[in-house]
Amino acid sequence: MIKVLAACGAGVNSSHQIKDAIESEFKNRGYNLHCDAVMIKDVNEEMLSQYDIFAQIAKTDFGFEVKTPIVDAGPILYRMPAMAKPVYDKIEAIIKEKGLN
Amino acid sequence: MSAESNLFFEDTVFVCDRTTQEEVFTEIANKLSLKNYVAPAFLENIIEREKGYPTGMDMSVVDPELPSFAVPHTEVEFVHTRRIVPVKLTTPVEWHSMIDPSQTFPVSFLFMILNDDKEAQVGILAKIMDFVNALGTDRVKELFSMTDAKAIYQFLVDNFPAD
Repeated sequence: MIKVLAACGAGVNSSHQIKDAIESEFKNRGYNLHCDAVMIKDVNEEMLSQYDIFAQIAKTDFGFEVKTPIVDAGPILYRMPAMAKPVYDKIEAIIKEKGLN
Repeated sequence: MSAESNLFFEDTVFVCDRTTQEEVFTEIANKLSLKNYVAPAFLENIIEREKGYPTGMDMSVVDPELPSFAVPHTEVEFVHTRRIVPVKLTTPVEWHSMIDPSQTFPVSFLFMILNDDKEAQVGILAKIMDFVNALGTDRVKELFSMTDAKAIYQFLVDNFPAD
């Protein structure tokens, strides 16, 4: 299973919208993908290391080097397919590049 | 559609003439606190959260003519109800972008999201975005230019998809 982490300030609303959208899109694309939504203040190096992809809303300085591939997922929030597609395509490219599926 | 069937309630639609973000939050949080819709720590939390993780939605990336807005919200523990609180700002207030916090733009309308149920709150932001996108630029401008709380409430009850 591909594991994606989405995070936002309150751990609700924005991150949950991204979680729902990514899970729905990748089910349609035929992938077994699970996305967790958390509060960004709870994200640490150990947590991130357990995920294949980090779907961030805004650029975030955690104070440590993020080794998990990062995708800027903010455009998904607009609920416009044309804006979301490049985000999904980038996630799919990482999945293929890393042989995650 | 009855008020109970959607996310808007007549007693929590506000028109605010404050001119800074902190003043706006203070006025609205005090009104919500008096009705016990939020916890005493709501104000402090929403101010701090907005500084760290801003909630402005820059709609110019969708349509240059589409007015931008913001969706302030806190963690569930500071809220005792589930609703969207519309706030018309009679003086546009500079807001930082959720997606690129280094960017700011003037905002004249807030959809403040209150939700005390973490499991149920999935989708409120999506509903707001779908509503704005479906409404179209002219009608969004019409809504955001309204300065009467009752008219704003009626517009939303008439046009916002049922919860």
